[in-house]
Amino acid sequence: MIRIDCPWCGMRDEAEFTYRGDATVTRPGANAPEEAFHDFVYARQNPRGWHVEWWYHSSGCRQFLKVVRHTMTHEVRTVARATETPEVPSE
Amino acid sequence: MSVSEPHAAVAALLKPGAHGATGGQPVRLAVRDVDIVQLLARKGRAEDAAAAIKAAYGFDLPSPGRSAGGDALAALWVQPDGWFLIAPRGAEGALARAVKAAVGDAGSVIDQTHGRSVITLSGARATWVLAKECRVDLHPAAFGPGRVASTQIAHLACTIHQRDAAPTYDLIVFTTFAKSFMESLTHAAEETGYVVS
Ligand SMILES: [Zn+2]
Repeated sequence: MIRIDCPWCGMRDEAEFTYRGDATVTRPGANAPEEAFHDFVYARQNPRGWHVEWWYHSSGCRQFLKVVRHTMTHEVRTVARATETPEVPSE
Repeated sequence: MSVSEPHAAVAALLKPGAHGATGGQPVRLAVRDVDIVQLLARKGRAEDAAAAIKAAYGFDLPSPGRSAGGDALAALWVQPDGWFLIAPRGAEGALARAVKAAVGDAGSVIDQTHGRSVITLSGARATWVLAKECRVDLHPAAFGPGRVASTQIAHLACTIHQRDAAPTYDLIVFTTFAKSFMESLTHAAEETGYVVS
């Protein structure tokens, strides 16, 4: 069970959240080629290590959060508001 | 128990009398006859909305995880720049109109009276019963009177408001899911016993 320290609600467990994927991808401009949109929607790195990801607090404050999680150990290092840019550990 | 039409179906789920275990300290269950209004401050207007509520009702809108006001009108923080306002049931739509008149264009007001219901769980063992149902830390060191938490109970969205140290908890749930919610809550309360009056 992953526990996420929501900046609004405090420490809650993952059952209250909905995983929303990689928080580092950015939407291409409206006139970008189709391949750019394909990559935006489908192409992911699936890294082993630290990952910045969206977690939606669907059963709490209903805010999107940026969570820095280690994909192998599940350690959560940082939980930030959507408008923030959390620091990512080098390893 | 007499509650008005928006909450009557939920109230009917509770049968008056004593249920479950006997001889211990039973908890109390009831459905509150209330109006529920959601206030969302418009973008960048949270301070204006707070000032308007303060002028109209005399209290500051609460910060995250807290409530303000009292039984006549309580405000519960439910999300950033978003609150529930709860008052004893009055004329249909009157609370929403009054809050909208107070905040003007600083906030959007949605009447939730027909969408949500408030179930009250109280008594010395209420925390013990509620702790079986939810994942929020309800220990007095972490929670207490005037605290609010939105979470899941029985897989359903529920906002918990501890109103006093008795303790008394208001559990705010979607009316359409209240039957499932009540089945879970009354099952949890059978171990202490529960009284519906
Ligand atoms: Zn939250």
